[in-house]
Amino acid sequence: MALVLHSGSGNKNAFKALIAAEYCGVKVELTKNFEMGVSNKTPEFIKMNPLGKVPVLETPDGAVFESNAIARYVARSKGDSLLWGGSLIEYARVEQWMDFGATEVDPNIARWLYPRLGYMPYNAQSEEFGIAGLKRALEALNTHLASNTFLVGHSVTLADIVITCNLYHGFARILTKTFTSEFPHVERYFWTMVNQPNFKKVIGDFKQAEVVPPVQKKAAPAKPKEAKKEAPKAAPKPAEVEAPEEEAPKPKPKNPLDLLPPSKMVLDDWKRLYSNTKSNFHDVAIKGFWEMYDPEGYSLWFCDYKYQEENTVSYVTLNKVGGFLQRMDLCRKYAFGKMLVIGSEAPFKVKGLWLFRGQDIPEFVMNEVYDMELYEWTKVDLSDEAQKKRVEAMIEDLEPFEGQALLDAKCFK
Amino acid sequence: MALVLHAGSGNKNAFKALIAAEYSGVNVELVKDFQMGVSNHTPDFLKMNPIGKVSVLETTDGPVFESNAIARYVARMKADNPLYGSSLMEYSHIEQWIDFSTTEVDANIGKWLYPRLGFYPYVAVIEDTFITALKRALGALDTHLASNTYLVGHSVTLADIVMACNLYHGFTRIMTKSFTSEFPHVERYFWTMVNQLNMKKVVGDVNRQSLSHQFKTRLRHQRSKSPRMPRRKQRRRKPRRRPRSQSQLKKQRRKKRHQNQS
Repeated sequence: MALVLHSGSGNKNAFKALIAAEYCGVKVELTKNFEMGVSNKTPEFIKMNPLGKVPVLETPDGAVFESNAIARYVARSKGDSLLWGGSLIEYARVEQWMDFGATEVDPNIARWLYPRLGYMPYNAQSEEFGIAGLKRALEALNTHLASNTFLVGHSVTLADIVITCNLYHGFARILTKTFTSEFPHVERYFWTMVNQPNFKKVIGDFKQAEVVPPVQKKAAPAKPKEAKKEAPKAAPKPAEVEAPEEEAPKPKPKNPLDLLPPSKMVLDDWKRLYSNTKSNFHDVAIKGFWEMYDPEGYSLWFCDYKYQEENTVSYVTLNKVGGFLQRMDLCRKYAFGKMLVIGSEAPFKVKGLWLFRGQDIPEFVMNEVYDMELYEWTKVDLSDEAQKKRVEAMIEDLEPFEGQALLDAKCFK
Repeated sequence: MALVLHAGSGNKNAFKALIAAEYSGVNVELVKDFQMGVSNHTPDFLKMNPIGKVSVLETTDGPVFESNAIARYVARMKADNPLYGSSLMEYSHIEQWIDFSTTEVDANIGKWLYPRLGFYPYVAVIEDTFITALKRALGALDTHLASNTYLVGHSVTLADIVMACNLYHGFTRIMTKSFTSEFPHVERYFWTMVNQLNMKKVVGDVNRQSLSHQFKTRLRHQRSKSPRMPRRKQRRRKPRRRPRSQSQLKKQRRKKRHQNQS
């Protein structure tokens, strides 16, 4: 009996064994008609792997589960194999990078991707954590690959197979070009690997993800059937990528701003940072702002009240600004704003700073909020250091502002 | 030069290599005065492991990181080590359980425990997912151990060492008796393992996670669970006009009506 691998086609964990088999000249057959969620719930399958996870390798001596263990078995089954390197220390390094792939790369990709596909509850903070972990791992990998073509030694080892399959999952689903370009050596490495003939035979042609999948409003395990049908036309199809149990349909865009290309800046993250920073505001929040700020997806605007001389009564002025912020409620998802009421006596000056999604002031805001025309709007030019300083001062409510005390600083968030 | 292991004492990942060394008769030294967060951020350390995590093993041929890889290396120093079983199939099953222990047991214990220790953001819904996943993993393990004393074959293998160290972390930090009693075979297995002579030499006496401790951690969390969105400091503001009383409002409306009529 040949080795039989139980898994759907297109499963990156199954690829590990299949690619290793190509390198070693071992015959591994993939079961036909494997249905995720059905075939792996049968009693026979549970007997092979009590967890019911795929893939599982059926051998004449019994079953093996855990994809790395399967790949190891395949690589071992032909006696000494070059996939293990040529010495004890190379052997150890191969295993070291396999484990690195399993503990640093794969779980962090999953932590980012799966909540977005609706397999796990989504939480922005946890996602951020996953992304940071992934960046740290890729950074380390990038450093190593700067002076190495392969992970260990001078040819493909099992470590390359495992890490490439893990990266493959990320590159295919969520790691867009903008994300990976920070790690040029990892990119180079990945493309070299997937173009190796033995990889290509298993994986086929490969296309990198173009967009980060949008967050699911609700995890949709209730009706996976329906979701599956919608998927092909809605989601830009990740060609030949493993078909997950449920494919994610894109939520219907309601606002033209939702149609903009995705931005790396998450507005809520900034608002949270702004609200939660209590001490050392300049170093933490302002610095964080420039780190998050995405000049392509967002734009900054100064606004000046056109009729400053009319602001003679303090509370009238304050109420005017308060009303403005209330009416801006409709763009809470797309904007952040600071409004300063400046001066210790009349006439008070009203000036503000706004962050809007997109490169222009959104049209629907212009149409709906009449206050908008009471202000003079100028786009911030960040190449001008003075304007940048002014932005910082306004976010921070720095006093004195333009030589005057502040009567009030209101925030729209 | 002997093998030098860089890790703090009491690190469950370092235990893996140390226990494997005891079983294999290999000499592994733990560095002295290792300070977590300091020693592992030095340039020398980062050269050994670019991600700066412990444990790292320094060998005459260069460093190796990832605790399981280190344990494997140590075990392989002794030719035909029984820790690796006696056949290809046993070897594969050992690897299978090592990976299971890493991806299913350790990962989920970590995701449950670390947010409670404040290393990660804490989210109640997400915690539930991980507890469920851990229960699923321990359930599977329990089924396997119902008819097996050890994970593979009839003696201690590397899989048992790795699994015991990962369970150790859970048993001492967060898995209380009421939690583990659902998995009697896992419990029996764990206590058998930590009382093996070679393990005891490294790990010492194991103290069970006491209920009160967990309760304390939970309480601390409930207090700081969801970071509030506090309002930023309010600027001195002038008092608003006092809201007019009903009678005054009425009077004013009457006056307006009167003006309109005239």
